[in-house]
Amino acid sequence: MEHATTNGGFPVSGTRDDEYTEYVAARLSSLRRLAAVLCDDWQRADDLVQATLTKLYVRWSRVRAASHPDAYARTVLVREFIRERRSPWSKWVSLTAEMTDPPAVTTDHEAVLDLRAAVAALPARQRATLVLRFYCDLNVDQSAEILGCSPGTVKSQTAKALDTVRRALTPVQNPGAGSHPPTSAQR
Amino acid sequence: MIESQVRELFTGIAVGEPEISRVDTELARRRGRARLRRRRAAAVATPLLAAATAVAIALSVGLAPAHPRAGAAASGNGPAAPRQFNPLAPYLSFGWLPAGESVVMGGVRRTVVSVEAGKKPYSAHGWDLNVYAAGQCRITPAKALTCGAVPPDASTHIVGPAPAVNGHRAWWVGPDRNWWANASLAWQYARNGWAWMYLPNMYRYSPQQIAAVKREAVKIAGHIRYGAPTLPLVFPAQLTRLPHNWRVSSVVYLRDGKVLRARSYALGASRPSLGADGGLDYQSGLPYFTIDPASRKTPCSGRPGSTSEIINGFHVVITTDTTPRQELCAAHADGLTLSVSASGSHPPIGVASLFRSHLRLLGGNPANWVRNPFG
Repeated sequence: MEHATTNGGFPVSGTRDDEYTEYVAARLSSLRRLAAVLCDDWQRADDLVQATLTKLYVRWSRVRAASHPDAYARTVLVREFIRERRSPWSKWVSLTAEMTDPPAVTTDHEAVLDLRAAVAALPARQRATLVLRFYCDLNVDQSAEILGCSPGTVKSQTAKALDTVRRALTPVQNPGAGSHPPTSAQR
Repeated sequence: MIESQVRELFTGIAVGEPEISRVDTELARRRGRARLRRRRAAAVATPLLAAATAVAIALSVGLAPAHPRAGAAASGNGPAAPRQFNPLAPYLSFGWLPAGESVVMGGVRRTVVSVEAGKKPYSAHGWDLNVYAAGQCRITPAKALTCGAVPPDASTHIVGPAPAVNGHRAWWVGPDRNWWANASLAWQYARNGWAWMYLPNMYRYSPQQIAAVKREAVKIAGHIRYGAPTLPLVFPAQLTRLPHNWRVSSVVYLRDGKVLRARSYALGASRPSLGADGGLDYQSGLPYFTIDPASRKTPCSGRPGSTSEIINGFHVVITTDTTPRQELCAAHADGLTLSVSASGSHPPIGVASLFRSHLRLLGGNPANWVRNPFG
């Protein structure tokens, strides 16, 4: 089935498959990066993108009709991430040690590890909120649209997530000791 | 303060993007097509059409019982199915196809051999045949045919008997309702071994057209050749001086004129440890390759953490990411575009060393490609 379109993001003519392939080839890298930031794991990120691409194919007519196809794709990916984390699969599919990501890049500081662990421990929706706000640099309204919630919810989820991370990074105070946490030598 | 730290964290994760993706666009497209078929069929399904289809099924020359027994995978007469397949031998060929159709692509893993026929690759109107090794499929108590590991490669319900294929029992399989939306024909091609062929998209087909497609499916199935010579599977590169127990574990090929060109393949020395995707079985530490004839496009883009080098006179981009995974990408190497990747912290042979000392490129001319990937 041939389509003709003036949509700037797509070829002037071509089959659904051609358009889809061209679009995915151009956007795959950015979708993978977004998925990796959401999942904190490139293997899972690829699985997430795989599922997202299937959905994009199914909804291709909506993607190509969207005023911002990239925003549409991002929405599908983020919602798929949240949906997946809710499913029982995510609870019993565990990755082997070999597939677990090591700490971020080469700045192997404890602080980075702690931060990463704290963010990883957030509920999926809160993590997605942080990613949209601080990785995608979207404003509250845009984030709300993607998450399918009100702007107020985005604000509260962001605040709650940051607060959780902040508390996780704050060393536990040792009652009776000074304001500094005990050093390893003291322990 | 915490916001900026979070920003840095996310950026740090994003820059570690591995060069080679496990994402398989074609798989997404196939799955998407299957979903579309189901949806469209559900949308147009009417009692009349359902009744007509039921009649069509009833009129099929079905000599098999209405449903196979649960656990029937081990039944059947004649020679046993292979316990596993040789990834260097495509194993399957179509003895008959509708006019204008031919093999367009395929793949071989130890547990399943696939081949797709049609007018062009990835067409919704193609025939997608998967033949499983012995013991890979089973009938569940719920009358579903399930093949592959967990989660299964494929699982769907048996909806009714189909005409026997070369004397072997066969069934139409698909979703419980509106099965024609994702219809398949499954049969035991040998003892303990199942073949499973997806039919072309039959969206909005009339009952007569559906019946015709089914007849074609049975005819195709009856002419499939197992273990017979196929078009040669050839490799555009050869590996040399590797550990003796390294083997090609899986291959995905494209039809390229009169040969089947190994486009991507993975090495293995034992059981796959990283699962399978995109038709390949991956093993930690062992490399996998994607090789195409060079094109004008340059697919090797450097990223933070990437280094450019000249190896054996070719410009390559090497990336070590945090997955952990090593990747080497060469956009124009002796008429080929290739990427070599290896997962794991300490692959026995790094990708640069592989490219430098263990890979012999054979150029873009198919006449120079070889059947043996090890030189």
